[in-house]
Formats: sequence, C-alpha cells, structure tokens
Amino acid sequence: MSVWDDLVGQDEVVAVLREAARAAHAGATAGMTNAWLITGPPGSGRSTAAVAFAAALLCEDLVDPGCGRCEACRSVRAGSSPDVTVVSPAGAYYRVEPMRELVARAAWAPSGGRWQVIVCEDTDRMRGPDLRWAAANVLLKAVEEPTARTVWVLCAPSTSSEDVLPTIRSRCRHVGLRTPSTSAVAELLVRRDGVDPSMATFAARASQGHIGRARRLATDEQARIRRRDVLALPTSIAGVGEAILAAESLVSAAKVEATELSEVRDAAETLALRQAFGMEERRRAPTGAAGALRDLEAEQKRRGTRVQRDALDLALLDLLGFYRDVLVVALGADVELVNAELADAVRRLARTSTPESVLGRVDAVGACRAAIASNVAPLLAVEAMVLALRTG
Amino acid sequence: MSTKGRCAVKIRVERDVLAEAVAWAARSLPHRPPMPALAGLLLVGEPGRVEISAFDFEVSGRVEVAADVVDPGRVLVSGRLLADITRSLPAKPVDLGVEGTKVTLSCGSARFVLATLPLDEYPTLPVMPTSSGSVAGEVFAAAVGQVVVAAGRDDTLPVMTAVRLEFTEDLLTMAATDRYRLAVRELSWNPEQAGLEAAALVPARTLAEVAKSLATTEKVTVALSLGTAGDGIIGFEGAGRRTTTRLLDGEFPKYRSLLPTEASSVARVDTQVLVEAVRRVALVAERNTPARLTFTDGEVRIEARSGDDAAGTESVPGSLEGDDIEIAFNPGYLVDGLTALASPVSRLAFTASGKPALISAAGADDHGSTIGDGQYQYLLMPVRVSV
Repeated sequence: MSVWDDLVGQDEVVAVLREAARAAHAGATAGMTNAWLITGPPGSGRSTAAVAFAAALLCEDLVDPGCGRCEACRSVRAGSSPDVTVVSPAGAYYRVEPMRELVARAAWAPSGGRWQVIVCEDTDRMRGPDLRWAAANVLLKAVEEPTARTVWVLCAPSTSSEDVLPTIRSRCRHVGLRTPSTSAVAELLVRRDGVDPSMATFAARASQGHIGRARRLATDEQARIRRRDVLALPTSIAGVGEAILAAESLVSAAKVEATELSEVRDAAETLALRQAFGMEERRRAPTGAAGALRDLEAEQKRRGTRVQRDALDLALLDLLGFYRDVLVVALGADVELVNAELADAVRRLARTSTPESVLGRVDAVGACRAAIASNVAPLLAVEAMVLALRTG
Repeated sequence: MSTKGRCAVKIRVERDVLAEAVAWAARSLPHRPPMPALAGLLLVGEPGRVEISAFDFEVSGRVEVAADVVDPGRVLVSGRLLADITRSLPAKPVDLGVEGTKVTLSCGSARFVLATLPLDEYPTLPVMPTSSGSVAGEVFAAAVGQVVVAAGRDDTLPVMTAVRLEFTEDLLTMAATDRYRLAVRELSWNPEQAGLEAAALVPARTLAEVAKSLATTEKVTVALSLGTAGDGIIGFEGAGRRTTTRLLDGEFPKYRSLLPTEASSVARVDTQVLVEAVRRVALVAERNTPARLTFTDGEVRIEARSGDDAAGTESVPGSLEGDDIEIAFNPGYLVDGLTALASPVSRLAFTASGKPALISAAGADDHGSTIGDGQYQYLLMPVRVSV
C-alpha cells in the first residue's frame, strides 16, 4: 500500500509531491524545494500529506518513491525514523523554547544520507495570544536558509497572514489541499476503517470533509448523540432562560468529548512511558523517570486545554453547517444539505426566518469562534452567541 | 525480528563487566525520550559476547563485553532501571534470561524480574562506518579538550556549536569558533584510507563527552562515512565502546585565512602567572566588561574597572619583541585560551590593538603562526574600548 493512499481526493497535491520526491531521488534540483507550505481546511489531511511526503523522500524505491513497504516508509509512518521530526504545539500555542531546539536539529545532517524532514503542524498556532509571531520568528532564518538536505514542511489552514507568518510563507513552495468530497471521505472510511457504507456517507457529509471527525462520528455513537444534541439547539431556544441553559450544556458536552479523547490518549502515553522506565508494578521510579513523567503530564495538561477548545469549535462548526442548510433552503438553492436527516427542522426554521436573520446567526457563530480563539472564557462566548441565535 | 526477540535468551556475565557496560551505554539514553522505546537498552547476545546499545536519534552508544551466551537473541529493557539494578548487584556472576515478555536477572541470591519493551518499535541503530584511522585516546582527549572551549553554545547558530574535523593522510585538524575566538589544533594520526581528504562537523558537546570517556584507551578509531550513501554520521570506537553521532550540515567559516601570518609585536609570558593575574583583576570587572592589557618590554600590566567605583590593576613580568601594545579582551575568553594551551610559557602575537591576537605555546623552536603537528592556536578577538 503506497504512502499516498490515505490522502483522499487530493490528486493534484499528490502529483506535485510525488514529482518533487522523484526529482529529489534523481538528484535534480528543479523539481525539489527545501521549504514547503501545505494548506487546507482542518481534517483535509495536511499532516498526512506531510508525513507521506517525508516517507517518499526517504523511500528506498527510487523510481516511484513512497512505496509504503520498505523499511524507510515503515519507520517514517511509525514515527521511529531518526530523520523525520513532526512537531505540533503542545498547548494552544507553540512555545519559543522547543522552536530553538528545532532550529538546532534542523542543522543535523540526515543520518540515512538522503534527507532530513521537519514537519510543523498548525503554523497558525505559532502566533501567540499577544498576536505576535514569537515562535515563528525563531524558525525564520532556518526556513529561509535551510541546509542542503533539510526539508521543512509547514502545515497551515490557509496562506493568509493570520495563519502563517508572511515572511515564512514567502520562502515556501505552496501546495493547497481542497476539502475532500463526501464520496471520497466515505470511500476511505469504508476501505480503511471498515465502516458500513451508509454510515460512512452520513459521517462524511455531516463532518463536511473533516476526515478525522468523520471517522469519529462513524465509529463512536456517543459522538453522534452529542452532535444531534448540538443540532437540536437552533430550534429549541426561544427564551433567554432556555438559551442560557443550552449554552451551558453545549460547553459541558464539548468538555465531555474532550475529556474522553484526552483520557484514552493520555493513559496510553503514560503507560507506555512508565513501562519504558520499568515502572509498571508500583516500583520506585528509576533515575530520570520522575522528570520525564512530570514533563509528559505538563504536556498532556496543555494539550488537554487545546483539545477542549477544538472540541467546542467542532460543535460550533456543526451549528454553522445547520444554519448553512437553513440558508440554502431559505434561498431556494438546489444544493445538497449537510444535515439531510434534519431536513424537517431545517425547513421549519427556514420558513420562519429571512435570509438576513440567518446570516446574522451565522455571524454570531463566527464571532463566538473568534472570541474563543482569542482566549475569551468559552462559556461567556457561547452564552453571548446563543442569545443572538434565539428564535423568539 | 520480534519472534526472535521472544526466544529464550540466556546470558551469563560478570557483575562488574555488566555494570560498567550498562552504565556506559545508559549515558546515551535520552533524558526525555522522543518515543518510549528509546528509554530502553537493547541487549544482543551472540556466542561469546553481548552487545548493549542506546540511541536518542542523535547519538548512539554501543558497548560489547565478553559473556557466556547459552541462547543467543535480543531483548529491549528499561535502560535506567537496568542501570540502577546492575549498579547495586553483589559481586557475583549475573544470569540474564528472557521468558516470554519478562527478563529475569539473578545474581547470587538476588533475583529481579523486568518487563521487556516491544522490540519492533525500536528504531534501526545507525551502522558504524568503516574506520578512517586511529589516534591514541589520551592525545585525542587532550586535543578535543583544547578546541571545544571555543565552540559556541547558541543553538540558533548551529554550525558554531560544532567542531570541524579535517582528515588528511598526514594530519587530523580540529577547529572550533563562536565568532569571538577560534581554536585550532593539529595532530598526526594513523589514517587507514589512502588519499583521505575529508571534513565533518561534529557537535562539540558530544565530541567532548566521547573524547573524555575514551581518554584512557590506547587507541581511538575514528570512522567517517564517506560518499552519498550515509555521510551523515561519524563513529568513535575504543576498547569495545562505539559511539556514533549525527553530523551537522552547513558552512563552517573559512578559518585558515583568519589566522594572521605576521605580527608587529610578540610577547612571551609565564602562562600560570598571567592566568592568575587576569582572574584576580577580572574580579572587579562587571559581566562582559573587558580587561585591558598593556604590553611593554619586561612587563604586562592588566587593568579592569566597573564604572568609576572599582578598579583593579596588576603587573606581571613578560618579554616583548616589537612595538608596545595596549589591547583589551574578554577576560574569561583570554583565560580559556591560556588554560587550554597547557604550556608553561605563552606566546601572544599582535598586529594592532583592534585586530585579533594569536595565542600559542612558546616552545623552544617557537613555531610562530605556521601550525604543524601538536600545535595549538587560539585566536582571540579584542574588545573595543572607549577612552
């Protein structure tokens, strides 16, 4: 199975990356670049594309790199290749100190003699809460003048100056992923995760092309129930009291979702690290273990905050999808609904709203997302939004 | 590979030998493992010997010791725990055995059971390149110690954190600089490849540690991988201990042209006396304020001050050929160079007070600025002082 197979509906990007990897193997300089920027909406497969590209650059198949079978491909995908580093912000933002370490690492020669690849996910998170690009500025020089065999692959939602530092963007070759189509996502869920086709279609449509979200919706009933509850909100809030209660349940549902996601991953990581230090049976911690465990715990805590925020954002995206459907119906457009199974509720709301009022609600959701992204207390932001969404 | 790992490995090894090997290999264990498997030590038992390895994606350490291996095989165990245990075992032979996912370790009446870590998650260890040549451990350690003092510590200038090693058929040259000083040492060595002409940038911190740990071995083998297939690592081996480290890529400053070939004045001073005087006078200097040195025939006057409040001066005897000169240095950097020199008398060569000074050993034949075997040169930038 080739490394490109998990990248669905992105034929153009695959062609570009594949060609670059081929050129890199052939020693040609024309087709290859040392700094790349992969953009695309969340869930479209930015990191997947970056890792596939890294595997192809190190692949032992020189003619059609990215075989997915050789030792190099296997170790890159398993995260055990010394020549590939994937970094993501531990918390809501990248911190400066790990970036310095990354710059030092970028100067290493590739141990396999070919390439060293450094993948940075979510460059939009290199901008701190103070709106300054402190973390990105540390990387700037290393990305501008990478050593001959170091390849940077940066991932961002878009090329806008809010998502990537403009001076970094201008040094990178850009490839843009599109939102994968419903059918492409559904097909992947069936093929890779063994999901039933009708469930796969529902999940692909409901997630609006977010592959990770689609997989969760398809495989986790609790996630589906929570989504249904979120989508019941627009038609059930007439008064202020109801609205405030709905806001609270929306925020707490996101919290539950985040906790579920974090708990499983955190526990697995902690267990693996404890085992690696030989601490499984309540044994006294050997030298150095306590520090490593403390670090992991701190990182998990920071990540927990981010996961919670992301979960709430996904719920807000679901709401946006619903209002989008309402607008589609209100305008009489002949487009497929994201929430086909809620067609009745959508039509009901469309009958009682004007396109202007629906757009006002869409704006309210957008304002809420922006507020949360800039560190406003989630409950306050959601309350403000829900009051604007009232139908009464 | 994983099925092989599950076979019943059985090894008997002397306690001291095992403890020493494990402790040495454990030094290459990452403090913050980038993946859990890297917190493990890999033990590979083959007839007559056992090999213990650690890897942190940058540096790998492998040590081989003689052992009675009944059943060969490989196993990955928690490195820190194994190091803690072997350190405290009684002085008796140690029996290591693997049963299923457990490692048993018995020594005298002590018995430990450890869990194995999954072997298939462990990365492939870098292969030691073929030997390029060798040098005596003591000589190697001394030379490395002399140049690493000048290496930079700022990670945002990665090339400066390296020592450049240059290999030719006659000489092994080491150079390091942090832009304020440059240290160069040449030594003769025993190359094993004809027509060798190669260079490598080795992380200074790793090189210093490796050289120190090999200082007592008779022969250190240096192995640089050449060609395109894997010129990213360098290996050092001595007494069954092998270390490989990633090299740095990048352009090292063209330092040879920086070394002045002529001097307008040359001073000779007793090294120890000068070092002590500079240290004393520097006590009053604030951080990063320079010490000013005035060389006249028969005397070196050292001055430092912080603001208008504190000042220190001291004079030490010294000879001078050529023009009198007044020059200021960062006292810490000056002491670093003089100490690394390891020579009773220092030779300081100047061209002008705004130009770098060249410090070298004042030997009987006084090599001056042509470096040759055993020669050490420390080029130090002066600090511009107002007034």
